[in-house]
Amino acid sequence: MADHDDDLEVSRRYRELGPEEPPPALDARILAEARRAAQTRPAPLVPPTGRRRWYFPVAAAAVIVLAVAVTAQIEREQRPDAEALPPSAPPVETKKESAAPPAAPPKLAPRRPAAKPAEPQPGPAAPAAEMADKRAADAAAAGAPAAAARAPMQASNLAKVQSPEAELERIAQLRRDGKDDEADAALKEFRRRYPDFKIPEEMLRRVERR
Amino acid sequence: MEAADEALMAAYSGGDAAAFDVLYARHRGALFRFVLRAVKSRALAEELYQDVWIRVIEARHGYAPTARFATWLYTIAHHRLVDHWRRHELVLAGEEQAAELAAGPASDPARRAEAREALERFARALEALPHAQREAFLLHQEAGLTALEIAAVTGSETEAVKSRLRYAVAKLKAATDHG
Repeated sequence: MADHDDDLEVSRRYRELGPEEPPPALDARILAEARRAAQTRPAPLVPPTGRRRWYFPVAAAAVIVLAVAVTAQIEREQRPDAEALPPSAPPVETKKESAAPPAAPPKLAPRRPAAKPAEPQPGPAAPAAEMADKRAADAAAAGAPAAAARAPMQASNLAKVQSPEAELERIAQLRRDGKDDEADAALKEFRRRYPDFKIPEEMLRRVERR
Repeated sequence: MEAADEALMAAYSGGDAAAFDVLYARHRGALFRFVLRAVKSRALAEELYQDVWIRVIEARHGYAPTARFATWLYTIAHHRLVDHWRRHELVLAGEEQAAELAAGPASDPARRAEAREALERFARALEALPHAQREAFLLHQEAGLTALEIAAVTGSETEAVKSRLRYAVAKLKAATDHG
């Protein structure tokens, strides 16, 4: 701190500058504002008492019930998908598809036509595909666009994996394209996978090497 | 026994408007002079002074008496002044205002002129102090804050505040002696 005498002298000189004060009108404005603010008190944050004391427990119970209901609904929507997929089905693929950005899904584009032939075909995949489509419609109706978009994709995968007819169609296509080695291998795999499936005569001509 | 500032502010926070009246009466003069001599324009000082009190009123529910009320009040004032200084270049007042400040009754015209001149020099020296030194000096003179409290208000180191006060007093003393 500065030297005491200097400090006193400077203080004395400073006091000589005059005891200026705010004008009365300004005082009045500020005091009026203070009074107005004091009258508008915020709502007290106290728990309800008396007849209203059940508000908090009921509100808490309602929140819990709602949370459980939403969780159960989400699980119900997801469970059939998991059950319908065979253990060998690659779940990672589905995950990749749903995680891919919607603007540029280069991996998804060529996959859709492959599932197309399965739609009219009767066979073990058809009910699963129908179920998936139905789920998609239900989900869309329930306002779940993400689930609706996912369901047709899963139906396609099911048809691709499970329909013997679709598989035969694919082999026939390989044959038409001249990929005989690939077609032979696919046909061999087909017979291993579906030993009891009787290939119609007309289809047999298309899938076997001539 | 008079109620402490902190108790009055707490009472006002609880809705006691009369407590604010007492608090306001205690601090109005010193706070006004602090602001006035920090900005040196009466119209601007009135505007800033009102802003400071409005901020006090608005912050009443968040007030916690952990420090002196004066420290809290002048911290608000300091922040308001810093806002102002950031937006506007400081304009030093002219001699006219200093002369106006120095006006006072004196019997002998020669001595009156001399006293007035000395006071003008002092007012100009005060105006010429750098922001930080002037603010520290005014907080000490008007609010009666210690160097430690000024450091808390302005967010500075205590040693730096002491140094500012030393420089400010030395310059003002030189201005008083010179003549």
